[in-house]
Amino acid sequence: MTQPSPTKGGATGDRTGRFVTQPNGHVTPLSPHMEVWRWHVTMTASILFRATIIAASVGLVILVGWLGVLAFGPEHYACFLDLAGSPLGLFVGFGLTVVLFSFILNGARHLTNDTGAGLTLKSANLLSNIAVWAPVPLAVLFWVVLFAAGRVSL
Amino acid sequence: MSDAAKFKNNVKVSERHGAGEWATERVALLALIPLGLWLASTAFTLAGASYEVVLAWFANGLNAVLLGLTAVVFFGFASLAWKVIIEDYIHKPGTKAALIAVLNLVCLVLAAASIFFITRLALGSAPLPAGFGA
Repeated sequence: MTQPSPTKGGATGDRTGRFVTQPNGHVTPLSPHMEVWRWHVTMTASILFRATIIAASVGLVILVGWLGVLAFGPEHYACFLDLAGSPLGLFVGFGLTVVLFSFILNGARHLTNDTGAGLTLKSANLLSNIAVWAPVPLAVLFWVVLFAAGRVSL
Repeated sequence: MSDAAKFKNNVKVSERHGAGEWATERVALLALIPLGLWLASTAFTLAGASYEVVLAWFANGLNAVLLGLTAVVFFGFASLAWKVIIEDYIHKPGTKAALIAVLNLVCLVLAAASIFFITRLALGSAPLPAGFGA
């Protein structure tokens, strides 16, 4: 890879040293410094969406496994139910509902921002905060209702 | 291919095709949001359900079609999303191409397996491996 080489203003007649010559000959401003930034919730929402897609892929593989045990008959499905009802299975199940709600909310945020909407500081922060935090209470609610209805038990 | 200029001022021109995958990913994501909500309600309905209840659920054609659609659209979306992840972190051309090939194969196999299982469950076929040598 050819690295852009700083030219001390040679190409532009600029003497500030704020411009570099790119490999294709274009002169562009030097990038801001790598370490000068502060944490922002939009960054969390952004990287969390990638993590969510990875986790959702694992979830869908488990879904295909669920389809598989069903297709292989009742005794395999009983095995699956035992596993899903174990503490570890319930923990994974809870995690997958967090991932599902996160996928829906963060996906909606991403699509909204892709259209160019919701990009003012205020709305971007609001959408990111919803996408980052809301999946957890939603998943808790989901499981509280499941337990309360007696559909699932420890 | 076309004789449209591939480079303009030494910059690669990609406006005619470069946005295709990006747009496909968005359309898939747009479809996955309602499908995801439906999947959440399905998970709620079928959590801890007995084998008979689950099979009765699959006997409803709408459920089978929606679940098949969810699986196919998701694995299509996942192949594009993982491709971007691979392209971001793997820079050796050979390794990158090999990983993307494996990725596409895995997504294709998972989507095909989903459709195969869902079809059998929707039709109420005998449990596997019936008719497959056992």
